[in-house]
Amino acid sequence: MLVLSIAAILSFSTRLFSVLRFESVIHEFDPYFNYRTTRYLTEEGFYSFHNWFDDRAWYPLGRIIGGTIYPGLMVTSAVFYHALWFFNITIDIRNVCVFLAPMFSSFTTLVTYWFTKELKDAGAGLVAAAMIAIVPGYISRSVAGSYDNEGIAIFCMLLTYALWIKSVKTGSLFWSCLCALAYFYMVSSWGGYVFLINLIPLHVLALMLTGRFSHRIYVAYSAVYCIGTILSMQISFVGFQPVQSSEHMAALGVFGLCQMHAFIDYVRSKLSVEQFNILFRSIVLMGAVVSLSVAAIGTATGKISPWTGRFYSLLDPSYAKNNIPIIASVSEHQPTTWSSFYFDLQMLTIMFPAGLYFCFNRLTDANIFIIMYGVTSIYFAGVMVRLMLVLAPVMCILSGIGVSSTLNTYMKNLDVSRKDKKTSKKNVDHTYPFKNEVATGVVFLVTAFLITYTFHCTWVTSEAYSSPSIVLSARAGDGGRIIFDDFREAYYWLRHNTPEDAKVMSWWDYGYQITAMANRTILVDNNTWNNTHISRVGQAMASTEDKAYEIMRELDVNYVLVIFGGLTGYSSDDINKFLWMVRIGGSTDRGAHIKEADYYTPQGEFRIDKEGSPTLLNCLMYKMCYYRFGEVYTEGGKPTGYDRVRNAEIGNKNFDLDVLEEAYTTEHWLVRIYKVKDLDNRGA
Amino acid sequence: MATVNAFFLVSAILLIFTGFIDAAVKKKEDSLGDKVSQMTEWNNKKAVIRMNGDKFRQYVKTTPKNYSVIVMLTALQAQRQCSVCKQANDEYTILANSWRYYQQYSNKLFFAMVDYDEGSDVFSSMKINTAPVFMHFPAKGKPKKGDTLDIHRVGFSAEQIAKWVAERTDINIRVFRPTNYSGTLALALLFALIGGLLYLKRNNLEFLYNKTVWGGLALFVIFAMTSGQMWNHIRGPPVMHKNPSTGQINYIHGSSQGQFIAETYIVFFLNAAVVGGFVLLNEANSVKGDPGKKRILSMVGLGFVAIFFSLLLSVFRSKYQGYPYSFLFK
Repeated sequence: MLVLSIAAILSFSTRLFSVLRFESVIHEFDPYFNYRTTRYLTEEGFYSFHNWFDDRAWYPLGRIIGGTIYPGLMVTSAVFYHALWFFNITIDIRNVCVFLAPMFSSFTTLVTYWFTKELKDAGAGLVAAAMIAIVPGYISRSVAGSYDNEGIAIFCMLLTYALWIKSVKTGSLFWSCLCALAYFYMVSSWGGYVFLINLIPLHVLALMLTGRFSHRIYVAYSAVYCIGTILSMQISFVGFQPVQSSEHMAALGVFGLCQMHAFIDYVRSKLSVEQFNILFRSIVLMGAVVSLSVAAIGTATGKISPWTGRFYSLLDPSYAKNNIPIIASVSEHQPTTWSSFYFDLQMLTIMFPAGLYFCFNRLTDANIFIIMYGVTSIYFAGVMVRLMLVLAPVMCILSGIGVSSTLNTYMKNLDVSRKDKKTSKKNVDHTYPFKNEVATGVVFLVTAFLITYTFHCTWVTSEAYSSPSIVLSARAGDGGRIIFDDFREAYYWLRHNTPEDAKVMSWWDYGYQITAMANRTILVDNNTWNNTHISRVGQAMASTEDKAYEIMRELDVNYVLVIFGGLTGYSSDDINKFLWMVRIGGSTDRGAHIKEADYYTPQGEFRIDKEGSPTLLNCLMYKMCYYRFGEVYTEGGKPTGYDRVRNAEIGNKNFDLDVLEEAYTTEHWLVRIYKVKDLDNRGA
Repeated sequence: MATVNAFFLVSAILLIFTGFIDAAVKKKEDSLGDKVSQMTEWNNKKAVIRMNGDKFRQYVKTTPKNYSVIVMLTALQAQRQCSVCKQANDEYTILANSWRYYQQYSNKLFFAMVDYDEGSDVFSSMKINTAPVFMHFPAKGKPKKGDTLDIHRVGFSAEQIAKWVAERTDINIRVFRPTNYSGTLALALLFALIGGLLYLKRNNLEFLYNKTVWGGLALFVIFAMTSGQMWNHIRGPPVMHKNPSTGQINYIHGSSQGQFIAETYIVFFLNAAVVGGFVLLNEANSVKGDPGKKRILSMVGLGFVAIFFSLLLSVFRSKYQGYPYSFLFK
């Protein structure tokens, strides 16, 4: 118990690096959207949240928020917030959001302990809990400040699995209903619930194939499937998908199979052998024909929608690369190199197969489940880096089993007191000489491994996963830290210095942050649901000032915001993303005049200096980023206007802007805001 | 009398002159028709017309010409060792075949090639010293800058060449790639193999129920994934990298952003070795037999684990500069 509580506290504290180094602030881009919706929920109440139509995003289209998100995260935070306020502990909603993920990771530690205890024994449970407390693969998406669905989804997933195993082992309706409720919580929190609804049927199928089907599993699965599916359809985003889309068909199929199998067993116990055989064969044939034809008709008429692109690309990994470049380009959707596996999981990559081997040695129903979970999640994690998150818990569990078995085997050989050794030496001997030394060696090695694991995880967390990315920091020449808080500076400027109904145009990356912090209407945001609208913005950024002005007048834009890293050396700025703007801008009909080739030099390079293509040097994005930059000295020994990211002196230096005027540039020139000038007075 | 003589002389000269001109014009017209029919005849035999220096000068460079010619200047001989030329040649042939059997095939466009060893004078006369080079010789006028395909930027896939041809000549060619049957064939072979195996073993299907087989299969899948085979499948990296200036062969990619195929196999092996060591460690305990064997097995297992894990860690260190931990050796 003590060990477990230490593990839980450890998991909470190891995620606090960024809060200690910077402050309690929400990280990245997506969490800002979640934060904004949570704030809305706590202020307006559940019903207006559920029916919310947001007119401050995707101007002029708007976005239906109530029906297109997974509300679990927001509802959880709101519940905690109201509970705390009920007890007059007044914590601001932002802090609740920031610290929600670490708290849920402590809960995950506890659930992992319980889960592994069900699978094997308490010793393995403790090891697994300790491992999952610090595994980097999970930490990366649940640091303090990373307020995203995955933070609670992993907890829900493990809870559902643990309850499922419990219901399989006991066959009681109570545990199955609890499992269905946990499944509902999971569906409400993350789109990855599809993995669950396919893994559980697959497990049942495997049990059927290995002849382990029994009434317990029948009760468990029927209850979970029926109640779980009905509950999951209560989430508006899921709607009727569980009975219409191919991703859920496996569950339905296995459900039918379950009923048939149980019925056949029942009939078999009542009939004689020959009668039974005839009946069995005919039923199986009929059942197979009927179900196949239903499935075929359903898919052909489109009633059963085929696998959507995102999930299909998991099954056929080269599909995305060839057919859907947008999915293929997101950095989280890239396949995984072996060093990423090792970086995120270190020891676990080798203890995991060992644990699997142990599970194979003593196969039980629950073990089969964990084996399948392990193999399927490692396949998916190999296809997409982001899914390493799903792999981390099962790695911890299986490694816990592996380590604990090894230690168990060898601890027995360790003799504690030397005195007894001499006497028992005579009568023992199916053990072997030097067993004590070997056992000590093994124990020592395993301990050393665990210690290296801890060091590695803490190092990785501290170095790689604790940056809030909205506040940057760098080391000055004299060793002190410089903090770049330009993003928030610009957003708050927008909030205080522009009219309430001002519309801001920027590239879609920054949409969520602008709505959450600056509270202004934007054109496109990270949801990227409308490619044509994004393409319009891309056309505006890539055209000359006059053409862009037409587009901006059409879209009612008042302010334009760009991110520029040339002064500080920040390399994720808009000039580096510019080619994507060109590609997306040119991908629709109205942007057909934008050709990527025009922005390259004749030799095919993307250059911003004198050799650069004139189309590039005169487009709106270039002008906005480099306005007045030609007069700035950036680095010693270099001419003015030296771009520190592209490492070149800019080509078009002294120009004026016709249709924009500079509204604000932050301290380190990271964010630049321009106001769109009104139309000229007639007759001027 | 003199004027009449002069008149006769002048008219005779004029007649002869026009006769010459006439003949010349007719020759020109004939020769254009001849050229076209000659090109068409060659094209009927082969989609890509192979030319040497003289043919090139006669049919491509000199007027009269009312057709465009796309010429690939390449070096396909084995001793030239130009692997890019071979790939480009394949793509070019696909395109030429697509054109040849196209509905809208006309004699306004021809595809030709000149090999360096057959027409080196062509290369030197146009001051070309790289290969392959794709040039378009229009029906009228000299080739301009855009008439050379910029391979470095767009590549030489048949679709890209077709796009360029369409830009230069307004003739749109639909590229027909011959259907690749190798995929279906491989799949059919696999099914046949599995079916055969199952049939042979139909009396004794026990091996399907054998735990160890499934365990081994699962372990193999795990090792394959953890060593990054999926990344290899999607990104197609090279097997290893030979540094051209120092001649040193790198099996391990220098940074954490990429990996080589050789590297993944090394990691696969290391992983398997460590896990094997663990398995040995535990099996050692349950092996019946003389005690010495148990001891040996467990020590071997222990050694495996320690040594291969350290190797794995050192490989990892070489990719992440700045990683501060190591186990047994650096």
